[in-house]
Amino acid sequence: MLESLTSLVYGFNIALQPQNLLYCFIGVTMGTLVGVLPGIGPTATIALLLPATFALNPISAIIMLSGICYGAMYGGSTTSILLNIPGEASSVVTCFDGYQMARQGRAGAALGISAFGSFIAGSFSIFGLILLAPTLANFALRFGPPEYFALMVMGLTVVAYLARKSMAKALMMAVVGILLGCIGLDPITATPRFTFGILELADGIGIAPVVMGLFGIAEVLENLGVLTKTEVFAEKIKGLFPTREDWKRCMGPLARGSLLGFFLGLLPGVGAIVPQFLSYALEKKLSRHPERFGKGAIEGVASPEACNNAAVGGTFIPLLSLGIPSTAMTAILLGALMIYGLTPGPLLIKNSPDLFWGVIASMYIGNLMLLILNLPLIPLWVRVLKIPYSYLSCFIILFCLIGAYSLNNSTTDIYVAVAFSFIGLLMKKFAFEPAPLVLAFVLGPLLETALRRSLILSDGSVLIFLQRPISAAFILFSIVFLVAPLFSHLRLGRGLSEED
Amino acid sequence: MKRTKTFAAGLSALFWVAVGLLTCYGATRLGLGSVTEPGAGFIFFWSGLILVILSLIVLADSIRSSEDPVREMGEMNWAKIALVLLSLLLYAFFLERLGFVLTTFVLMSFLLGCIEGINRVRSVGVAGAAALASYAIFELWLKIRLPKGPLGF
Repeated sequence: MLESLTSLVYGFNIALQPQNLLYCFIGVTMGTLVGVLPGIGPTATIALLLPATFALNPISAIIMLSGICYGAMYGGSTTSILLNIPGEASSVVTCFDGYQMARQGRAGAALGISAFGSFIAGSFSIFGLILLAPTLANFALRFGPPEYFALMVMGLTVVAYLARKSMAKALMMAVVGILLGCIGLDPITATPRFTFGILELADGIGIAPVVMGLFGIAEVLENLGVLTKTEVFAEKIKGLFPTREDWKRCMGPLARGSLLGFFLGLLPGVGAIVPQFLSYALEKKLSRHPERFGKGAIEGVASPEACNNAAVGGTFIPLLSLGIPSTAMTAILLGALMIYGLTPGPLLIKNSPDLFWGVIASMYIGNLMLLILNLPLIPLWVRVLKIPYSYLSCFIILFCLIGAYSLNNSTTDIYVAVAFSFIGLLMKKFAFEPAPLVLAFVLGPLLETALRRSLILSDGSVLIFLQRPISAAFILFSIVFLVAPLFSHLRLGRGLSEED
Repeated sequence: MKRTKTFAAGLSALFWVAVGLLTCYGATRLGLGSVTEPGAGFIFFWSGLILVILSLIVLADSIRSSEDPVREMGEMNWAKIALVLLSLLLYAFFLERLGFVLTTFVLMSFLLGCIEGINRVRSVGVAGAAALASYAIFELWLKIRLPKGPLGF
């Protein structure tokens, strides 16, 4: 514990350097902006800004990209409360009561509790990150290829289990993601695989064009001619500080939301979307007046907002301590770490303590920046929301094209982004979820290497995954998640879908 | 209506069956190796096979299920979508030939004017500003190399 605190002080020394402070500020502001704007999310934004960070040192770059992740959670709630449209998928639940509060003239209190709740939960999850990540990294030093393979399989199974519609479809997308991720030269024999003679594909398909297509352009195509005019509810927002009565009602939900979000965010594949639904359902169940939920209950805003922010902190733990991303957003951060020449995994904390502790300290500073800046900036975000979607959509497309091109300065990546935007649109039409595909796309090459090494290690015996206790436990959990849908009442995702 | 949707869902599952089978075939050509020493096609073969099995499950599910297998997505303007996709492909084709600023100006004018229906003067003005501003931000400030055309920008 004392060692962690000393390291954290070291981290603050790094994060407080003027350059890092500036990039933290840019990150959280960009994050809030994309959180506020419906149609472009943090995943696409990180991919877009990735090439721009090549000139930076890796610490400043990761500080900025992380700022986008948690800044988006703050921004998403603004759109949910004022527009009844979630700025982010992880702010869907905030619409239920946040918009109702705005209709009752309490938009200020809803925005205020959401900002304070996000700050409290963000701080809690950073504390958890400090405590858990180094411990988990030490534990993960015992991991060999079989454990990594089993852990990745479990992560993909959890993503599929949490799918809102068909689990089989989500698993299909995970398999397609693995296939796409493995395109390129074979890591052992250097044989070109499924490159169809296209030289640019020898290095594999880039993550940026895939994300730009699936999450950026596809979203715009879906909304072509649908979203025409946005109506911002609150004209003048006042009373941003919640009253004493509001605080009294929200203390419990904030604490429960933070705990639930953080621990669920830790699990590979869970992310920030599912925990907020669960926290809302939990508060509704625990409330003495459940009938107030959906009609402007402030607890219905506090808990999910705390939950989604804490979950983001939680998702950083498997990324930084195991090198395993658990969401599409952290999958891109993993790609970024590799591009900067860092090796994500248990040795990251030991080999690059400046990066690990610098990023953690910057998260605390970033949360504080968001709290101080966000409330006074709400009128500005309201004005941003008044920009017609017809303009925004064209700019989103342009930024996605630039983002896709600039990673390798190759127009092939633009063709890939356009192809994936069409695929993404069809996926939406046929109810296939893109998140398992992106996660498996990043994990695919790692999974393949771990599988092949495990088989070489065991002389071809697949029993190696069951003979080692840690990998056996992961495989067991994967089987449980695969079998659970047979007992339909155990399907969490389906329940969430009905909750929608 | 429900029958049409089931047909569409079944068709999408069959598409994935075909993708899975083609992947398996391609993988065998790459060489599967053995369990003790997996080859370049090993992961593709097994992933392709799993994809075929899952697609068949989805196919069976779409026939049996009482739920709508295809999502209602509101009024989708497929003609506009096709035009946007075509314009993006043309953008990729001309980007390195004509340069970033000119190609971006033409694309943005088209998207704003023809797709979003914004009046001509405004769409041309916004497109020009967008092309120049994005060039200034990405090329001059963020030092991302954008393609230069015959005019040098």
